Amino acid sequence: MSQAGDLARNMNGELRIVWEEFKKNLKILLCYPVIWGFWAIFPILWVLPLIFQGKALVGGLSSQAFENLTGTDNYLAFVLIGAIVSTYAMSSLWGMGQSLREESYWGTLELILTAPIRPLPILIGKAMLESGFATVGALIQAAIFSFFLGVDLSFGKILPVLFIMILLLLGLYGAGLALAAITLLIKESRGLVNTLNWVFYLFSPIRYPVEVNPITKIVSLAIPLTYALFAIRSILLLNTSIRELWVSVLLLILFDIGLIWGSYYVFLRVERRVRKTGTIGMY
Amino acid sequence: MDIAIDVKDLTKKFKKGKRFRKGEVVAVDSASFEVLDGELFGLLGPNGAGKTTLVRCLANLLIPNEGEIKIFGKNFSKDPLFIRRQIGITTGGERTLYWKLSGRDNLNFFAALYGLYGKEKEKRIDYLMEFLGLKEVKNERVERYSSGMRQKISLARALLHDPKILLLDEPTLGLDPQFSRFIRKFIKEELNRKQGKTILLTTHYMDEADELCTRIAFINSGRIVDVNTPSGFKREIPHKEVLEVRCLGSINPTGVEKVKGVEKISISSKDGISHLKVITPRGEDVLSDLIELLREEAKILSIDVKEPTLEDVFIYVTGRGLGEEYER
Repeated sequence: MSQAGDLARNMNGELRIVWEEFKKNLKILLCYPVIWGFWAIFPILWVLPLIFQGKALVGGLSSQAFENLTGTDNYLAFVLIGAIVSTYAMSSLWGMGQSLREESYWGTLELILTAPIRPLPILIGKAMLESGFATVGALIQAAIFSFFLGVDLSFGKILPVLFIMILLLLGLYGAGLALAAITLLIKESRGLVNTLNWVFYLFSPIRYPVEVNPITKIVSLAIPLTYALFAIRSILLLNTSIRELWVSVLLLILFDIGLIWGSYYVFLRVERRVRKTGTIGMY
Repeated sequence: MDIAIDVKDLTKKFKKGKRFRKGEVVAVDSASFEVLDGELFGLLGPNGAGKTTLVRCLANLLIPNEGEIKIFGKNFSKDPLFIRRQIGITTGGERTLYWKLSGRDNLNFFAALYGLYGKEKEKRIDYLMEFLGLKEVKNERVERYSSGMRQKISLARALLHDPKILLLDEPTLGLDPQFSRFIRKFIKEELNRKQGKTILLTTHYMDEADELCTRIAFINSGRIVDVNTPSGFKREIPHKEVLEVRCLGSINPTGVEKVKGVEKISISSKDGISHLKVITPRGEDVLSDLIELLREEAKILSIDVKEPTLEDVFIYVTGRGLGEEYER
């Protein structure tokens, strides 16, 4: 068998593991109907208060003061895009951060680590389930968003937005790998993911333009979500083409490479360390 | 015959304590042994002797501090994925399955991890479930299974990829006698004799090791004390007898040890009844002194003089019984 053949067979095998992991987690979730109820109403409950809050604050759907900072007067659309994209992004961190923690809680982590596989497909499978739920949520939110604010969500705009989202998710899946590694080490992920969540909220333009404060403006440059949000808002609200956003795209690609490579390295180091300390199965 | 598992001077230490009270626990201490291809090899020792740590090292879940493990001549550090493909493992404890999934779904998932797909996977799962008598409950959630059924599913999972080596950590722990008999027969007759698998089994049940294993390693406080066949072990203490005494109340071990003719003792207690084992060249010679001593502290319920069993050999060799509170 040629090297290319081996590689294709390995890739195929790993994709099947991703799929089996996805199916396994979905089946386990199906055992808890309350979670389905939550996901059915969560997107609506989550997005409506933001709309009402925006209306109350700016007295309508737009603000002149806001336009001076961001280039768009549509405050509500700005906030909602931030909310939807950040929810989507955080789901991947939750998925990967929690994945090994759950396996160690179930007592199955050690058996996974004795299998002749890399743990990466397991982590991706878990994150994909979270992303799947987030996609459904985001679609419902986007429908509400379009209905209330009349924002154009045509195919021509959705495709470049999806492209940016994929670039963002790749980097966050990479960061999720590092989170999973840290979880292996410290046996806790909630605190870590929540902290990251709030750091993102503070230092990236999710709810407000970071330009309002010189510190947030500088720190936000180190967070890939900033570039993704800038690009998506530019596409949806300012009708900017993807070509004009090449700097954001390039930076997102660089973040992806750095985060995936760096996090994978961290994961391998941590995995070796816990095999040495004998703490794999502990939770 | 080829060597399937070759362990040389294996040492595994764990850190314990925090900050100013840091220390080290030596879980496995310079262990060396070989398991031949197709052999059913037992690691026998009390709880905390280092059996599970050794198995976890063999499964690459733990990286040893010192020493070397070779599986069919290959080292873990050079080709870990190849070696993992050769090994199937069942670990002790029930929580090693997805309880919310059915037995079949559990096997489906783990089959994917070992590269089994499509019809090959379905055939293998069907075969294992039927063979282990789980066909009727294959679609039931594991949480509804009995302990024995869960142990069977764990075995099926370890066998999914038809490994050459099986590491079975306490395979009958907590099972009722009927399931234990089934699992033991399956291990010996089907897996070892018919399929020719190399099996390393850990247990603290002496009769299990005696019944199943071709060779046994006694492990105590992390050290491999002796390796022999069950009959070879029994020959190690010829011309000895074992006095087994059951008493109501506690027994003072120091006093018993001082009785003339007593070589080794082991004491355990259950439900308020103390069990004393005394290894001696001649039971009759120590009987009267022993009765006199025990009567001072406890009420003697029964006394038997027996031929040494494997457990007695273990006490003789290690100075420690399996699960005893006091051994010397």
